[in-house]
Amino acid sequence: MENLDAARLQMAFTLIFHIVFACIGMVMPFFMVVSHYKWLKTRDQIYLTLTKSWQKGVAIFFVTGAVSGTALSFELGLLWPEFMKHAGPIIGMPFSLEGAAFFVEAIALGFYLYGWNKLPERFHWFTGIIIGVSGVASGILVVAANGWMNAPSGFDYIDGKFLNINPVEAMLNPAWFTQALHMTLAAFTATGFAVAGIHAYQVYKKRRIELHKKAFKIAITFGAIAAILQPISGDISAKDIAERQPVKLAAMEAHYTTEKGAPLYIGGIVNAETQEVSYKIALPKMLSFLAFGDFDAEVKGLNDFPEDEHPNVPMVHYAFQIMVGIGGILLLAGVLYFISLKRKKWFNTNRYWLLFVILAPLGFIALEAGWIVTEVGRQPWIIHKIMRTKDAVTPMPGIVFSFYTYVVVYLTLSVAVTWLMLRQIKVLNHSNH
Amino acid sequence: MLYVVLFFLIFSLFLYVVLGGADYGAGIIELFSSEENQKITKKTIYRVMGPVWEANHIWIIILIVILWIAFPVYYNIMVVNLHIPITIVLLGVTLRGVAFVFRHYDAIIDNSQQLYDRMFKISSLITPVFLGMVFGALISGEIEVAEDVSTLSFYEAFIRPWFNIFSIMVGLFFAALCAFLSSVLLIGESEIGKENIYIRKSIIAVIIVFVVGLLTFGYGFFSENIFVQDFIGDPFAMIAVVFSGLLLFPLWKTIKKGNKVWSRFFAGLQVFLILLAALISHFPNIIITKTGAISLIDDVAPDSVINTLGITLIIGGTVILPGLFHLLKSFKMIKILERNSTSD
Repeated sequence: MENLDAARLQMAFTLIFHIVFACIGMVMPFFMVVSHYKWLKTRDQIYLTLTKSWQKGVAIFFVTGAVSGTALSFELGLLWPEFMKHAGPIIGMPFSLEGAAFFVEAIALGFYLYGWNKLPERFHWFTGIIIGVSGVASGILVVAANGWMNAPSGFDYIDGKFLNINPVEAMLNPAWFTQALHMTLAAFTATGFAVAGIHAYQVYKKRRIELHKKAFKIAITFGAIAAILQPISGDISAKDIAERQPVKLAAMEAHYTTEKGAPLYIGGIVNAETQEVSYKIALPKMLSFLAFGDFDAEVKGLNDFPEDEHPNVPMVHYAFQIMVGIGGILLLAGVLYFISLKRKKWFNTNRYWLLFVILAPLGFIALEAGWIVTEVGRQPWIIHKIMRTKDAVTPMPGIVFSFYTYVVVYLTLSVAVTWLMLRQIKVLNHSNH
Repeated sequence: MLYVVLFFLIFSLFLYVVLGGADYGAGIIELFSSEENQKITKKTIYRVMGPVWEANHIWIIILIVILWIAFPVYYNIMVVNLHIPITIVLLGVTLRGVAFVFRHYDAIIDNSQQLYDRMFKISSLITPVFLGMVFGALISGEIEVAEDVSTLSFYEAFIRPWFNIFSIMVGLFFAALCAFLSSVLLIGESEIGKENIYIRKSIIAVIIVFVVGLLTFGYGFFSENIFVQDFIGDPFAMIAVVFSGLLLFPLWKTIKKGNKVWSRFFAGLQVFLILLAALISHFPNIIITKTGAISLIDDVAPDSVINTLGITLIIGGTVILPGLFHLLKSFKMIKILERNSTSD
């Protein structure tokens, strides 16, 4: 394996894991805080049990997220030293703020986890809010740094040198808002459906139905609202990419030839050699409309760009289809949940719960697919149009061994975390009986 | 503003060494304890470190972020030439953190605890050793900075800089320092009647720190290590080290008296002095390569970057430090100190 490929695989692999841990660690505190609030309001013991059980989940995911995040903060430099040498000072600001937000989160978590019966009740609850808010802030800041790679700004690039650096402008790059909005909603959707799915399974299996129904409702409400809002954010993102990264848009749509009134391809198998997409559903003029709000707008095709600036088209196209497809399914499921609130008898049917069990992993699959679109779609650039990924990679040979080590460690970790969660649920089901 | 950034860099380095160090040290102490004492130590560690250990380890993230933003060239040398030990540190941090949480949050207590314990203890030793080796490598004079690394062999570029006797000794020295800090901390936190376990440990740790420190210096001196020679030639550095050694006397007195505030203060001050001695003898030339020293200040990021970073750090500091202090205060660590200091 080439060093570059090994480095890219290692980065992708560690990010794929970190994103899951980070999203759960970022969103679950909100579920916990809602349940905690209901406990304070109703003094219904079930909510206390649920809060304490979720807080263990938060603690475990916070730590796995934190350590994998620490590893990533080093990996950026270990794998891409040339990138960090130049980009580090420019995009340092969101990272240093993220460090601060993360610190606040760790402090608040210390208070929350160890504050039961020690802190005043309301203050204790409030520290839970701080965990959630600073977690989301961390997420947004890191995504802002990623946004800069897609929309480099806040410097002048003259003769291969980065001059007149403005860190604030770099942080508030044109992509930060669209990406951060999309990612935050995605985190809530994915975590909401995943957690709801786990509790739906318990209801399906008839274990502590009352508790798991309450848990399900809290989680799915977050997930459903986010899923319903997501298409708006998706539309903003698409228009933004059409403007700034036309190659990425073309790859997402496997759109090879520039044309006016371009059709939107749904599904299809891409043949990168012949540049044809077979078995697709083509919606006439829709791509032009979605990208530019005009049915006859011209959409640039891949052939208008030099071949060495193309990303891996099939991969980006498939990932995009998966993301949008799942997004649609979860949107419908979200609507279905709100309908079910009016038709209470659905709650008594096993099919209802089974449906949400099946949906559980989909949000995360979509989220990972979305990141594949962003990251693979930006290739061959590590900084869009400024620095190529191959020029940023470490000169140290043998990265493939480090990649394998990470694969082994992270796979073991995820097996261990899953196992631990199963044990939590098992104990939860047997408590208070 | 550069001074603000430098202040926070050294401040977070110091806090990481003291707080993170005590944290690693707790695992080391547990590793070198009899089975019965291991159980006691495990409980004590959880009670003392539980609420704060995550915060303790964020200092290294702050440290690394400051390095890459403000001193990119310096950071670049670290991540390229010391890729391997840094990766081992990261794996150690990961396994250790995960093991800590697993052993305290696993809903079912069974045999798997033994696995978590082993993971925690071993990574608590390996991580600071390699971390120390990274520090050691930076001053070992073995790093080769080449325009094109491919002109060097793999061994010359990526192994020798850290895998040499001097760096390994610095690694062991740092681990011993961690054990020392932790044992002093644990004396004040142990269950009543168990203090002697940690008093004994802290004496052993002091002896090891002293012996390893002396060996490192002796080796460095006879192998003509530039850092060690400059260190010995620098009166301020030597005064700091001697003073740090002399502090053992008041430390011993305060331990005997059971005064937790002052014993911790002295132990922290000792480590601070050692760190200070190492920094002043060569500051700002903190990387010493085969061809000479590299200054931290020379290739500093542009002013606009330093200014925003400085402001961010000041704002972040004013938000975080009171919160952190309050956390330490709320959960035993300082509460016990307070009780003591008011009774003094």
